Amino acid sequence: MNKMKPKYTIWQNVQYMLGMVWTCKAYSVVVFCVLASILKILSSLTGILITPVILRCVEVQVPFVRLFITILVFAGMLMIWSGLSAYVECVNSLADRADIRRTLMQTVMKKNCTTSYPNLEDQNVLWYRRQAEKAVRGSGEATEGVWNTLSDIIKNIGGFFIYLFMLTAVNPVVIVITMVTAVLGYLVNRYAKRWRYQHKDEVADYELKTWYILRKSQDMTLAKDLRLFGMENWLKDIYASVMILYRGYFFRRERIYLLTDIVNVVLTFLRNGIAYGYLIYMVFNQNLPISEFLLYFATVGGFTAWIGGIFDSFGILHEQSLDLSMMREYLEMQEVFWEESERDKREDIPACKESCSLELRGVSFRYPGAKEDTIHNLDLVISPGEKLAIVGMNGAGKTTLVKLLCGFYNPTEGEVLYNGIDIRKFDRREYYSLFSAVFQKFSVLETTLAENVAQTYDSIDMERVERCIEKAGLKRKVEGLPNGYQTYIGKRVFLDGVELSGGEIQKLMLARALYKDSPILILDEPTAALDPIAENDMYQRYDQMTRSHTSVYISHRLASTRFCDRIIYLKNGRIAESGTHEELLRAGGGYARLYEMQSKYYREGTVDGEKG
Amino acid sequence: MGEKIFLKEAIQLSLRGFQLFFHTAPKLFLARAAYAITMGTVPYVNIYLSAQLVGELAGDREIDRLVALVITLLLSNLCLLIFSESVKHWMMYENSANESTRELILFRKLLSMDFVDMDSSQTHDRLDQIDQNANWAGWGLGVLPKIFENSLRAIISIICAVSLTVGMFFQKVPESAGRLKVLNHPVCIVAMLLFMIGVIAAASIMEGKAEQYYAKCAVEARFGNRSWGFFGFEVIELERAVDMRIYNQQNLSANYLLKNDSFQSNSMMGRLVKGKMGILYAFSSVISSSFQGIIYLFVCMKAWAGAFGVGLVTQYIGAVSAFYSGVVVLFQAVARLKSNAIFLKIIFEFLDVPNQMYQGSLTVEKRSDHKYEIEFRNVSFHYPSSKEWALKNINFRFRVGERLAIVGENGSGKTTFIKLLCRLYDPTEGEILLNGIDIRKYDYREYMSVFAVVFQDFQLLSGSLMDNVAAGRSGDSEKVRKCLMEAGFGDRLSSLPKGLETCLHKDFDKDAVIFSGGEKQKIALARALYKDAPFIVLDEPTAALDPVAEQEVYEKFNEIAGDKTTIYISHRLSSCRFCDKIAVFDKGSIVQYGNHESLLQEKERKYYTLWHAQAQYYTEEKRRKEELDQLRRNLGEKVIFDE
Repeated sequence: MNKMKPKYTIWQNVQYMLGMVWTCKAYSVVVFCVLASILKILSSLTGILITPVILRCVEVQVPFVRLFITILVFAGMLMIWSGLSAYVECVNSLADRADIRRTLMQTVMKKNCTTSYPNLEDQNVLWYRRQAEKAVRGSGEATEGVWNTLSDIIKNIGGFFIYLFMLTAVNPVVIVITMVTAVLGYLVNRYAKRWRYQHKDEVADYELKTWYILRKSQDMTLAKDLRLFGMENWLKDIYASVMILYRGYFFRRERIYLLTDIVNVVLTFLRNGIAYGYLIYMVFNQNLPISEFLLYFATVGGFTAWIGGIFDSFGILHEQSLDLSMMREYLEMQEVFWEESERDKREDIPACKESCSLELRGVSFRYPGAKEDTIHNLDLVISPGEKLAIVGMNGAGKTTLVKLLCGFYNPTEGEVLYNGIDIRKFDRREYYSLFSAVFQKFSVLETTLAENVAQTYDSIDMERVERCIEKAGLKRKVEGLPNGYQTYIGKRVFLDGVELSGGEIQKLMLARALYKDSPILILDEPTAALDPIAENDMYQRYDQMTRSHTSVYISHRLASTRFCDRIIYLKNGRIAESGTHEELLRAGGGYARLYEMQSKYYREGTVDGEKG
Repeated sequence: MGEKIFLKEAIQLSLRGFQLFFHTAPKLFLARAAYAITMGTVPYVNIYLSAQLVGELAGDREIDRLVALVITLLLSNLCLLIFSESVKHWMMYENSANESTRELILFRKLLSMDFVDMDSSQTHDRLDQIDQNANWAGWGLGVLPKIFENSLRAIISIICAVSLTVGMFFQKVPESAGRLKVLNHPVCIVAMLLFMIGVIAAASIMEGKAEQYYAKCAVEARFGNRSWGFFGFEVIELERAVDMRIYNQQNLSANYLLKNDSFQSNSMMGRLVKGKMGILYAFSSVISSSFQGIIYLFVCMKAWAGAFGVGLVTQYIGAVSAFYSGVVVLFQAVARLKSNAIFLKIIFEFLDVPNQMYQGSLTVEKRSDHKYEIEFRNVSFHYPSSKEWALKNINFRFRVGERLAIVGENGSGKTTFIKLLCRLYDPTEGEILLNGIDIRKYDYREYMSVFAVVFQDFQLLSGSLMDNVAAGRSGDSEKVRKCLMEAGFGDRLSSLPKGLETCLHKDFDKDAVIFSGGEKQKIALARALYKDAPFIVLDEPTAALDPVAEQEVYEKFNEIAGDKTTIYISHRLSSCRFCDKIAVFDKGSIVQYGNHESLLQEKERKYYTLWHAQAQYYTEEKRRKEELDQLRRNLGEKVIFDE
């Protein structure tokens, strides 16, 4: 994937970033960029002029006052440039640049959070996504670092022309030779950079592994296993073996860099030799004064540095532009879900609270790259207000089926209908608003408890939050918390937050689903972490919770399914059995077998036979 | 951060840091020292030779001498640069190769730390702080090698510079210079020296002040990093994706991102940067530059008056500038060392947490008959961070070969009981005895070898199946295979093309296989079997399993546990039917103990309630029972358990 061609050119990306300056009203970024480069050119110029000019004064014994004033003027200039530079640099390290990056960070985050669900499992999209994340992650990355690069480019080009002008007084051959050595130096450096680029994946691999191992030592859940199974040495072994390879890479890398640096030293030697030779020739033939000798020699050195600088900064700009391009391409990445609804003339979600039916019509679904369908030619109608239970073994396709219903995937074949309309015709974001859900994997945000229930930051209906917390059986816990409903959950952002146990989180997720109060309620194993009494509580409340809702319930505990109007038993992506609890038991199929298996130990007197 | 650390303590802390670092990565320090010496001396060769050249140009301009000087200058430059580049790349190699030393030091401590300390909120806070400090500006152990190199280099540089500049003060202006003879006066020389010192001090103080503002923002900056990290990046994890869409969580997250102004132009830091801090930096810079002006003035006046030639002017100016930057670097290093002290302190506090659990020395008698007896005697326990008793006055004894089930509501102390048993924690009161001896007297690792536990939140590592089951790199592949089969993983194993070498998780190997929760549970079970310990503990082993797999675990496990003692924690009470004894936990105490039948007799007590809360759904109606009997006749027993 390294060969992917960027969609946007360097110039387009610079324009884009300049556009961001306007969007964020961060004009100072541009001003300070230009200012920084001008100041750097000025201090460089002052630096190479000061010695020759003052020496000249000493050499020709100008009047003392003139010497004094000359020194003061130069010293004054140096002081002003460096003072301003320091200020500009300090301001540049933060402030407006960070505003721009934060805006982009937020854009990338929003894209990540709303992109069509299948994109999250598409390696190609994920690759772009990683690039986009990288581009906004730190102040050194493209979205903030580009300003330094642009500033450097202005500085180097400006310096190049000024020094070129100064050197025209000298022999043009010297200029040409200087340029040639600078270009050669650049080519050698590029070789080293290429080498490094080619080994990028190798490094990423080592980095990931060392990071993984070092991180694992802080993992609290691993800590128990680590001690009980004596895994310390294993971790140390893995670390040591990765580091041997990693060090080998560093050794090769530094060897290459050393070689290129030696070539650069030799090039400098040649350039200086020629410059000295020419200047000495001038001393003897045209009686060149020392001041000019020093000035020209310094200018040759400075000129080389500007040329090198131009190459380097464009090199960096090129890389940053690649990152920016990837980020932009990610942000503009096609959204299967949204575009469909635009193409087929979007329909509004029929407003309904009581009567919403869902239907799968001839639905097959196959994960990209998989050899078999996970769901195969499945027909299912969920009528308004129905309570449906889905049971089946691990891997039977239960979760996939629910994800199809919720619109996280589009079926490979067939269609999903909501009140008779293909869901592809809706705005998928609006469609999601029809669902309240508790899934097995959930996202608890490190925000306040009330915000976690209401999932919004403004207009939280506190009474409703309290009601839902109570319904979910979490009231006592919440009231015992130091800040009650305003307590932060988790300690990763707010150090005064609290950690909830697995069971408590499950209840919190339930409260969240209740607060949302959408017409369709999805519960995926909501009792897995609950003890028998809490579980029973939950069953008792189930009826009340789902009243006037259509609900879909997935569970391994078959006891719970009896609260549902209908149970479907999934097997290999097909509905193998369907009916009420009693009907399915009477049918004596897979469901009955599962039920029998689970219930036999709860019944008296049947266990002794098997035990032993 | 209110604490103030004085220079003396800062130096002590840093010395300890250097020692620790040196001990872990000695070559890095050698390379840094070599580089510091090289970079401290090499530039002066150039300054000296260039001055000679200029002197010759200003003087006789003899062609032979000029050419000889130029060639010496060029060749010495060539050689010295090649040499210093070599040293530089050696240093860079060592630097990269030891980049994670900082983390390695923490890593080693973490691996050997008592679990109770590792689990304490104090340790969490310290680790968080250590990490955040390191991420924020590299504070902590990570900056030490650089401080070491810079100070050494600055000192050497200053010595070289002084030896090249003494002449500046002592070469006298000739009598003919008139009023400028004042430059020869000692007062003038002293004034000059004082001025130089004054400028350096003023500039450094200002810079130090400016840097203190960074420290003032430390708390906010760390908060900012945490908040950006979570709301900007962690929220997009795949696990969160479904909820994110259903609940539109991006809006809430974005709001937190927007609210967080730690780094923004209107934040405290942003205002400081544009105001006080920026101005202090600017003034510090202006004062530093004035130093150069004064030197020019002093040297050029002397040269103008005839104290020395033009060549020496360049030498003095070059050397004094180098001297100045040497002093600045030294000051910065000292300032950094001082500010770093507080960050080092946290690290040492962390590293100095004693390992109390490792003090026992008794070996555990290895008994082939697995005759062990465990006794809890008046054991009470509360977590260090809480005052509430998690376990209260537990008296309990059980013998080898028994099957024990532990049941109770969430938070009743079941898992805590197991953690005490395995000595992840020591009891707050009372004692636990193994074969009549307090477990604290045993060697820790020896005692650990008695237990194999599958925790509810067990973890497998990114590595091969083989290593995961053997929990190390020197596993016996036959035994691993056997244990996997016993754990019910046999079919899956034979379907894996790479067999035991199959990698888990995608971190290390792109061809790794992602196993389902149930499969992982089986691997964890195999790991416990591989350990072949007399006690096997299973904490909620079936939560992620479907009924068939659950059934398998129950029945299979009963069979493979053999004469080992097994302890079983489960919310699915049907598992109790397999156990000889059941301990019922309620609010930190064992309220009932006995076998299933006898406990069920005790109506209206905890076990009865728990059991019926679950069992009612399987047993409550007669009609259903009849149906089931009918059903069983229809199916025939062998269809149900086709083992």
